[in-house]
Amino acid sequence: MTMKTNKRVARLLSISLLAAATLLSACSKHGGKGGSLSGAARDTTLVIGMLGDADYLNPVIGASLTSSEITGLIYPGLLQGEFDTKTGLVNYLALEKRLRPSSGNPDERSPKSALAKTWTMSPDHRSITYILRSDARWADGQPITSRDFKFAYRLYGNPVIASPRQQSLAELVGADKGQVDFDKAIETPDDTTLIFHFYKPVPEHLALAHTSLTPLPEHLWKNVKPAEFRESKLNQQPVGAGPYRLAEWNKQQTLTLSSSVTCNLPKPGNIKRIIYRVIPDYTVRLAQLQTGDVDVVENVKPEDFPAVQKANPNVDLKTIGLRVYDYVGWQNIDGDYYNQTGKLRPHPLFGDASVRRALTLAIDRQSIIDGYLGQYGVLAKTDISPSLKWAYDDSIKPYGYDQTQAVRLLEQAGWLPGPDGIRQKNGKRFSFVLCTNAGNARRNYACTIIQQNLREIGIECKIEQQETNVFFQNLQERKLGAWMAGWAIGLEIDPLDVWGSDLKKSRFNFPGFINPRIDQLCELAKSKMRTEDARPYWVEYQKILHEEQPITFLYWIRETQGFSKRIQGAKLNISGTYYNIDDWTLKPSVAP
Amino acid sequence: MLRYILKRLLIAVPLIFGVLTLTFFIIRLAPGDPAAFFIQPGISPNVAEQIRQQYGLNDPLPVQYIKWLGNVLHGDFGRSFSRAQQPVVEVIAEALPVTMTIAILTLIANFVFGIIIGVISAVRQNSFLDRFLTVTALFFYSMPEFWFALMMIILFALKLPLFPVSGLNEVGAESYGAFGFIMDRIWHLALPVTVLSINGSAGIARYVRGSMLEVIRQDYIRTARAKGLSERVVIMKHALRNALLPVVTLMGSSLPFIFSGALFIEVIFAFPGMGRVTVEAIFARDYPLIIADTFVSGIMIVFGNLLADVLYAVVDPRIKL
Repeated sequence: MTMKTNKRVARLLSISLLAAATLLSACSKHGGKGGSLSGAARDTTLVIGMLGDADYLNPVIGASLTSSEITGLIYPGLLQGEFDTKTGLVNYLALEKRLRPSSGNPDERSPKSALAKTWTMSPDHRSITYILRSDARWADGQPITSRDFKFAYRLYGNPVIASPRQQSLAELVGADKGQVDFDKAIETPDDTTLIFHFYKPVPEHLALAHTSLTPLPEHLWKNVKPAEFRESKLNQQPVGAGPYRLAEWNKQQTLTLSSSVTCNLPKPGNIKRIIYRVIPDYTVRLAQLQTGDVDVVENVKPEDFPAVQKANPNVDLKTIGLRVYDYVGWQNIDGDYYNQTGKLRPHPLFGDASVRRALTLAIDRQSIIDGYLGQYGVLAKTDISPSLKWAYDDSIKPYGYDQTQAVRLLEQAGWLPGPDGIRQKNGKRFSFVLCTNAGNARRNYACTIIQQNLREIGIECKIEQQETNVFFQNLQERKLGAWMAGWAIGLEIDPLDVWGSDLKKSRFNFPGFINPRIDQLCELAKSKMRTEDARPYWVEYQKILHEEQPITFLYWIRETQGFSKRIQGAKLNISGTYYNIDDWTLKPSVAP
Repeated sequence: MLRYILKRLLIAVPLIFGVLTLTFFIIRLAPGDPAAFFIQPGISPNVAEQIRQQYGLNDPLPVQYIKWLGNVLHGDFGRSFSRAQQPVVEVIAEALPVTMTIAILTLIANFVFGIIIGVISAVRQNSFLDRFLTVTALFFYSMPEFWFALMMIILFALKLPLFPVSGLNEVGAESYGAFGFIMDRIWHLALPVTVLSINGSAGIARYVRGSMLEVIRQDYIRTARAKGLSERVVIMKHALRNALLPVVTLMGSSLPFIFSGALFIEVIFAFPGMGRVTVEAIFARDYPLIIADTFVSGIMIVFGNLLADVLYAVVDPRIKL
């Protein structure tokens, strides 16, 4: 070994050390103001743990739930939405007008955040006129006018921008011919008058929902070309008028909002700073909740909660209503035959409603709930959530766990025990693959119980897990005979996409369930000018789904969110965990 | 040697290019749709189509390939689908330093600890200490990194709150000043680097031990001892240097491994590094980002192998390149 090599090695080592040091300092380039999180700062800062970062802080293109929640705090709204937990109805408030009178709803909101003073629906329900308040300003001091709305609606409707909210423009004049005619559909006679015209009569609640998309400041965005809209730097520095402003955004790490002191819509946010922290791993999010580094973690699994609370009694579990359910899907039609010929014929196994009822009876849904969800699961009867009380039919008796009855139904349908213990009909064995997406412990648990239950009545069920993207594609292409998945429901009931008979149009009718009465009921319900008046239709709808069992509804999941007990005044409901976050307060920590 | 390096780099160009082309086609043939997120009730069916149009996914595959090729030859890897249209070069420029920091710190820790443990085991061959170190090394070597990481979090962040659970820095660390900031960063890196390097150095220790045992039996070591040199000099100067020859080549080839190890670590500790970027890109079918990630790891592997070969020539005068 010569001295020469010796030196070279030493040099190499020192170079790599130097590189490490440089890199360390290179990482520290994310500068910014901010204080440490000790003492007083902690009492004015809320930290929320998130699975992923926001995408666009822009109401037109923001797609993820996180983005819309944050955008909702930065941008102002035409109306204030309110969820009535007593009835399950959505209410809309303007400064001086409400869609529905106050019903003693515990989750009432202040109408002061609304940009609209009032509105009038034309008698023929073909137009709606808003009168805007004149004292509202963007964070840069420019007044908010009706033109900002018209400008934003053009963006929402621009196919190049591809807004995920363009569905809201579907009733505007021209939309029936394929292209909204903005000059005719939206009028702005002066700064505080905003008029929308529809091509058909629209119920008031739907008109309010669809015309209250968030505006954008025209003076800042007017020179951005549509093709460059998504790339615009303005997306990184949103100018809104809501209770919070964006203070700092370290992509994929933290996003900090600070209370907007000049806000009068309705007022600056109570908590001075909100930090959204990206923590992709669930276990780690939970650990941070336990150490107190994070104040809110959504979707804490109930089985993990006792351990967290034992380690940190200062953590609470809050639930929102029933919004999410799991189900076992049965292919009602022969998927392969349909794909090849475009024609319909019943699925050889699941085509018969009495067989599907038998399958539901044979599955011990209650023991899945008891074994996994406990008090956070509720037996599901149909896809109308019990939280939507105005439409939910309480009188339907759920199918119990009754294997004798299941066997009777199967034998009536011609499925008799075969030599290998598996039922047969005309030489066909009752054997199928139950697919689900990989990595969901709850669904795995349920699949195993279902497999066991069906085995007991002579049905062979193999379980297959598929990567989520693959699973979803197979589902859309009707390649799966039986599968386990779930839906999150919207606040408005609109199930045509999921159950409509026109399989080309109803993209989410994965089971291929066809019942023209369901289509009629959906249309009838939509034609009612008051939401509540549609109840009889939804009651009939639930009876049909219960009778036909196009899928086996398993259970509603009471989503559980981990909250630090220092958060006060939080109201949660199915419209969101952060429903009234601008009204939350933090309990001061005891002086050290 | 310069000529050799240049030649190797030239060969690497078509190699990496081939890898990228393969990746381009494989990810497009794989099931899944980058616009799948926009296929859900309540969102107009037109949106997914418009998004695909924006991403240029409606063109026939050969056309897409030629367009992509033209862009890449101009050094443009495109914009990320899943990260709000951020240019992928920017995404990688933000993520790479994080991963490099972890990788280099790990590499150093790997070799320092690996060599120390290996030498001790070899010198005290078959002693209790050797057996203990060997068993411990094997124990850690066979442990899955992600599980080990979670155990470390439970032990050293929850039960004994000595280290932070996740993140690169404390919230508000910018106010600590430059020195405080770096100390805070190191404090955050302690657990992940330990996890990665305990696993890696266990492997290196096994190598060093084997290599040392071979060298210690050589005639020149006996000569050195016979000359009356102290045991310390014999081991450190005569034996270790020769024993390190095969180990040094490991340095180059372990670089890509540390990168792939960092993958799990980054997800668990919530570091915005290459590993997390890659995993998320794959799940979101973010084609441009997947290709750019493949490019970076391809470069790493080529570079690592080249480094190994060059290092070999540097430390061993018998080898000419």
